[in-house]
Formats: sequence, C-alpha cells, structure tokens
Amino acid sequence: MFDLKQTQQMCWEFSLLLRFLLLCLLLFRGNIRSFPFFSLYLSVNFLQALLVAATYKVWGETSAIAFRIAWGSEMLVICARALAVAELCRLLLARYRGIWSLASRVLLSCAVLVLVYSALVSKHKWSLAVVGASSALELTIAAVIVTLLVFLRHYRVAAEPALRALALGFCLYSCVAVLNNTILERLSERYYPVWNLLGVVAYLACLLLWTWALRKPVPVPVLGPMLLPGSVYRQLSPEINLRLRLLNERLSQFWKVEAPRP
Amino acid sequence: MNLTLILFFFPLVAALLVVLAWALRRPRGPSAQKLDLECLEQTGRRHATYLPLIHQALSPRDSSFLASQGSPDLLRRVRKERRRVALAYLTGLHDDFQRLLRLAQVVALLSPDVGVAQEFERARLSLQFSWHYQMVRAGLYAGLLSLPRLDALSHMVSELAFRMESALKELGERAALAAKAASSLDGRSVDIA
Repeated sequence: MFDLKQTQQMCWEFSLLLRFLLLCLLLFRGNIRSFPFFSLYLSVNFLQALLVAATYKVWGETSAIAFRIAWGSEMLVICARALAVAELCRLLLARYRGIWSLASRVLLSCAVLVLVYSALVSKHKWSLAVVGASSALELTIAAVIVTLLVFLRHYRVAAEPALRALALGFCLYSCVAVLNNTILERLSERYYPVWNLLGVVAYLACLLLWTWALRKPVPVPVLGPMLLPGSVYRQLSPEINLRLRLLNERLSQFWKVEAPRP
Repeated sequence: MNLTLILFFFPLVAALLVVLAWALRRPRGPSAQKLDLECLEQTGRRHATYLPLIHQALSPRDSSFLASQGSPDLLRRVRKERRRVALAYLTGLHDDFQRLLRLAQVVALLSPDVGVAQEFERARLSLQFSWHYQMVRAGLYAGLLSLPRLDALSHMVSELAFRMESALKELGERAALAAKAASSLDGRSVDIA
C-alpha cells in the first residue's frame, strides 16, 4: 500500500544523496569556481537537511523547537537560494554591460515589487507567518528567473544549456513551493504529509536536473564582446525607435481604415 | 478560507509558467542561436525590393479583366493565389522589420550603456507591431482586407528601410567587425546571439 510518510522518507534520503553527489560534482569538475554562490546554497541546504534530521531525532517532529529550527533554517536556505539566483543572472548577462545594467535594475525592481505585494496580500496567521514569507520569497525568485529568461529571449542571448537548466530548476521548484505553501496555509495540518512529500519530490526533480546540467565542467566566459562606442547607441537608438513608432502608427491606421468593411 | 491567497498566487504562478514556456522556446529562424553576421552587414531592404512585382500581381485591373473575360472558377483560383502571394509578402515584410529590430538589439547588446526608456519603448513597439501584423494577416485570411491595399503596408516598410539604409550600413559593418573581434577573443563561435 502507498504510504505517504515512507515514500517521503525514501525520497528525502535519495535527495540527500543527490545533494552530496552534486556537491562532489561541483568540487571535482571545477564548477565551484564558476558557481560560488550556487555551491554555498547547496552546502547550506545539505547542512540544513542534516540539522533538521538531527533535530527531529532529538526533539521529535512535532515539537515546537523542531518547528522553529526547521523554519528558521529554511529562511536561511531561501536567502542562499536568492544569492545563487542573483549569481545566475550575473553569469548570463553581465558580459553585456549595457544590457546588464538595465536588466539588474529591472530584476531588482521586479523582486522588490513581487516581495512587497506578496507580503501585503498574505494575511496569514501568525503561526504560519514563516510559511507566508517563504511563499513571497519563492514567488520573487520565480518572477526574477522568468524575467531573466524573457530578457535572454528578447535580446537572443545564447545561454549555456547548463545555466538554463539551473535557472529552470530554480524556477520550477519555486513555483511548486508557492502553490504547495498556499495550500498548506489554507488546509493547515491536514495537508502537512502531502505538502512534505510534494516538496521533497519537486526538489528531487530539481536536483536531478541540476546533476545532469553540471555533469561536465561548465565554461563560463570571462571576456565579453568588444563594445561599440557609446555614441553609436545614443545616435541610432532614438532614430530606430522613431521609425518603428511611425511604422506602428501607420500600420494601426491601415487596419482602422480597412476593418469596418461590412 | 483564505481565498485571497489562492486567487493571488495560483493565477500568478500559472502566468509565470506560461511566460517561462514561451521564454524557453527556441526563437524561429536560423539566426536565433547565433548572430548572423551577414545579416548585420546587409541592410534593411530585402522584401521591399519586390514591391513593384507585388504591386503588379495585386493590381485590381487584373481582377476586373479576369472577371469580365475568364470563368468564375479561374477568378476564384487567381484570388486564392493572390492571397497566398500577399501573405508570403507580408511575412517577408515582417522578416525585414524583425531584421531591423534585431540590429537595434545587437547595438544594445554591444553598447556599454543603454537607455531604459529607449529599450522599453522598442519592446512596446515590437509587441505593437506584432499585434498589428497578426491583425492584418487575420484580415487577409478572413477576406476583410482588400489585397491591393497591402501596398500601403509595403510602402511603410520600404520607406523605413530606404531612409535607414545609409545609417544602418555603416553601423552594421561596425557591429559585425566588433562581433568578429569579440568572437576571436572568445576563441569560439560568435556569442552575441
């Protein structure tokens, strides 16, 4: 028979093994130099898993102290994850100085906006405050990654498949975490075993994706492309925009004239 | 029941996932993965060059002549064929527009400093153009737009292309040179696209 708790335990143990394997991969493939914050995040995450396991063993899963340690350390892990995501954004775009300066401002504004708005919307109970904060942070991470990928697509920047896989992993896990936490806030303790299992399975999937992505050393180019003089952009960009605006105006007039035909 | 949370988070996550799927999709066209340097060196006039031919093909006088002299079946076939040509031409014009836009994006990528307002405006204009283009396309499919009026659209694009040609030629060459130099520095393929 399908036992939620047992399945969750098995998945959790497997995920612990994968975390260790991923850390080894980062170390032995030399990727730790390319991804210092991602490595830090994984290390914090691995240590948190061990700490929580030890806490449950000593004080029991339902004790107040175990709850505080588990959620307190979870906030630390989420902050480390946010740093890893920031690192990913930098690795993907920082070579293009102008675009990076624009993207960093947009991403930061997006992060602050989503964080503040989620915090305002979440009128959660005090006991679930940390769950609400966690949801807000996860949603912020997901929004930042999606915005980053939109930037990459808009400017057609070719990203290393490994970096894309890391971003995808972060985003999908954050989306699942937001939905999972939202249902937990609604259903509270009844949902707890399912919440636990879904969280572990989502993280397991994410770890598998990352392990596959980092199975080989990831080349992170240091040099960016040779830049044009700043005057070229200042001279040409308004000119192009003016033409595009005119074109759009005429195109819309074209449609307006033609559309009302019976 | 905390419906607010569910109503806020679920649609937002769904929207994020939709945008994520769109952003991860490979852009169409061969130049999507690698920057086509020849495309930079060429200028914005390609499909617009065929304007007189398309104009001839879409001439209303041909239709009137066929209606008076030919069979209804022939007229229907010719209209269908003309619509196909018009749609292909519209697609070509769209490609030209995209190429110009691409050039603007490459310039932004290779610039040490970009203007927030300029970039946002271009993104907005690009979305607007796509929307209008789809509307015109749908109009052509549905028969709401008369084919000869298509040359109004082609004039817009050709005018844009002609007026920008000299400015873009110089820029395209410089951008291509910079990209080639950057690619040789990287020691691998051009990585600006």
